[in-house]
Amino acid sequence: MPGEAAQLPLLTQFLQQFWATAGLPAAGLNSFELALEEIFMNVAMHAVQGGSVPRVELSLARAGDSVTLAVEDDGPQFDPLSLAAPDVAASLGDRPIGGLGVFLVRQLMDAVSYHRVGACNRLSMSKRIGVG
Amino acid sequence: MKLNIETHGRTTLAIAEGRLDFGAAGGFQKQLEQELGGAALILDCAGLGYVSSAGLRAFLVIARAAQSAGVAFSLCALQPAVREVFDLSGFSRIITVHTDRATALAQAAQPSA
Repeated sequence: MPGEAAQLPLLTQFLQQFWATAGLPAAGLNSFELALEEIFMNVAMHAVQGGSVPRVELSLARAGDSVTLAVEDDGPQFDPLSLAAPDVAASLGDRPIGGLGVFLVRQLMDAVSYHRVGACNRLSMSKRIGVG
Repeated sequence: MKLNIETHGRTTLAIAEGRLDFGAAGGFQKQLEQELGGAALILDCAGLGYVSSAGLRAFLVIARAAQSAGVAFSLCALQPAVREVFDLSGFSRIITVHTDRATALAQAAQPSA
């Protein structure tokens, strides 16, 4: 699907349906909703700056009590994991606006990895969700 | 995302309901910025099920606007998933969070708070 901000609700719905169909515990869903929004919006925002809309592909897989979300886009090479972590101890006045999204994803997920696959960026995020 | 506004003495109580994601954050921020006329602004988050970094950004902008306006800004009744995002991002240290609405209202009503 096109990497445009307006597509986010549809993608979130897709994730929620996957979650419900697989019968996964509701408590684990938030981390994945957040990871999806942060990573997808990063792709969409970069695309706006770059002037062309990339194609984005989303995949979800469950293996035992672990769920993996992969977001792939055909935009220019960009590794979100290369971004510096924000200073989470900064005071209200010193706190920069932004830069938190990828940081939160790294904190909430067990494993996050970036690969350039052919002409695509692929970010893979996994977390054990404690089934049962 | 819905925002209901109540006035309790000189305190403005904003009751949020829904999801604070990329799509909702801008409107939410503008709406809350209109509510900095009292001595204190409390945002009740009991009905707020989701906050992303876009939502956190809105909180940060409002907290700063409140500080410049001399308005005591606080949140209350965070759901566990929202609390987690708040703690991880360090926002729990820069924005006052009360456990429930009654505590937040009592705190705001104190003369020197």
